[in-house]
Amino acid sequence: MTAGPSETVAAEAAVAEAADPLAELAGQVAAAVGGRAEYAHGTAKIRVDASAWKEALTAARDRFGLVFLSWLSAIDWSNETAVGDPPDPPVEERYEMLCAVSDLDEGRLVLFSADIGRGDPSIDSLCGVYPGANWHEREAAEMFGIDFAGHPDLTKLYLPDGFEGYPLRKSYPLLSREVKPWPGKVDVEDMPEAGPDAGNGTRPSTENPGA
Amino acid sequence: MLAHHLSEAAVSVELETEGMTLNIGPQHPSTHGVLRLVATIDGERATDVRPVIGYMHRGYEKLAEVRTYPQITTIVNRIDWVSGFANEVPFIVAAERLMGVEAPPRAQWIRLVLTEMARISSHLVFMASYPLELGAATPLFFALRERERVLDLLESVTGGRFHPNFNRIGGVKPVYAAGPVTKKAGMDIPAAFLAETRDAMDKVESTCEEIENLVAGNEVFLARTKGVGVIPVEKAASYGVSGPNLRASGCGFDLRKTSDYLPYDGFDFDIPTGENGDCWDRWWVRLEEIRQSARIIRQAIDGIPSGPLQAKVPRIIKVPAGETYVRAENPKGEMGYHLVSLGGLGPYRLKIRSASFSNLSILPWILQGALVPDFIAIMGSIDFVLGDVDR
Repeated sequence: MTAGPSETVAAEAAVAEAADPLAELAGQVAAAVGGRAEYAHGTAKIRVDASAWKEALTAARDRFGLVFLSWLSAIDWSNETAVGDPPDPPVEERYEMLCAVSDLDEGRLVLFSADIGRGDPSIDSLCGVYPGANWHEREAAEMFGIDFAGHPDLTKLYLPDGFEGYPLRKSYPLLSREVKPWPGKVDVEDMPEAGPDAGNGTRPSTENPGA
Repeated sequence: MLAHHLSEAAVSVELETEGMTLNIGPQHPSTHGVLRLVATIDGERATDVRPVIGYMHRGYEKLAEVRTYPQITTIVNRIDWVSGFANEVPFIVAAERLMGVEAPPRAQWIRLVLTEMARISSHLVFMASYPLELGAATPLFFALRERERVLDLLESVTGGRFHPNFNRIGGVKPVYAAGPVTKKAGMDIPAAFLAETRDAMDKVESTCEEIENLVAGNEVFLARTKGVGVIPVEKAASYGVSGPNLRASGCGFDLRKTSDYLPYDGFDFDIPTGENGDCWDRWWVRLEEIRQSARIIRQAIDGIPSGPLQAKVPRIIKVPAGETYVRAENPKGEMGYHLVSLGGLGPYRLKIRSASFSNLSILPWILQGALVPDFIAIMGSIDFVLGDVDR
């Protein structure tokens, strides 16, 4: 049976309603900066080449009114982890730079993402576009060992001078756990009412998922 | 004789002066914790200010990678401890969003009421400390008295004044008004809570009146805040300055109006904004926000839906693979969590976007050229918490 005209109109209206304005904006921005837009769980993400990082964010600020720098950080995609569970299935090993920018009218936030290689990770600094990127980049530099080309002062932000290693890399162990293993359920008393019929006295979430 | 003086004056102007380094903190009452400023000053004016942070860095982003989702709420409410409850909400909503779970309406409204109470208590701390830093001690007693009242109410529901750890994925913690711990139906917020909160809001509003009468006409306070530490709105945006600091600069942006992390859309409330973006506006915006929060809480009490406090969730929480960023309008500004899950018991990566970090990052810009005595007025007006800066 073919759809009648009224049903078609209803279907179109449903599509128009489902098309989120944020997803729409992400599509426009991605087309303008030569990136690829993704939209899931209420979060719009635009993947761009690392070489186009600064130009993409400049265009976002100047042409789409995304003037508010929310945050900038990175993810270490690694299959060998000193903390937490290793990814299953395995992931492509890389650093993913993330920068969240937003407008100040409707609060539409777009996440920019660029993959950078694990060898000698480096990307352009955004300090010239959003001055607030200064501290975020210093944090990412000391935590992930990423170099930001053109940053005016890439010194340590949180960590003391002379600190060695990059704590947020997956290969970096959580030292407190190495020294003293997580006690898990050893020091957890059963709930007072937990009898034999209350789930065999087992409690979820006292096991440590990693380390 | 006059000519002689003039030539001397010309010489003294051309004299090279050497900048002096002034260390403020890390243990100074005006730094709200452990912030250190290394300022280069020329006479009474700063030529360069370098904040040194990290004394309270606890590595929460790393710790979150070895914890289960329910355990992480205990970490996140320690980020900005002045409004611990408000920190939990965006994290929980992020996890819920990836799981496709939504808290029942009553639970969401309770979250909303307690978030606004956290805002009131946070702003009341500011109302107490800021005039104190500028030399007026009396408002502190008014503000902290009301804050105790609000914290007592928060405690009556959550069991904690600072670290409620009250949100659960899919709802809020079952609350026991009295008696033994049972899993029977009918558990709810304490019976007297709603009535007492309404009463407390009346008192909070009359205290706002008192504080305004005490402070707003005070000549010393006006002289030290009007036109001091001006942040233009474009500057604020490019540094990621958010919350009352941004609104004081004249931008009416508020995530409660644009975002859906809590059911604010049916509520009638105003977004106070400043005109000049100076210290005075930042003080005034926060005072108004207390009144607006009281207004929101009244409406929430009147319209709170009945029903369960917890949606059905698995006994062992696993969050499906995916990523999302959820941000909320916290008392200090935008607080958000970028949650990356690979389907396990804990996150693969949790980026914590805290308001005070970005709000403080504008300090070198704003303090450049400022008078040294204005440092205290400017820093205090930004209302940061070092735990929220360092995470």
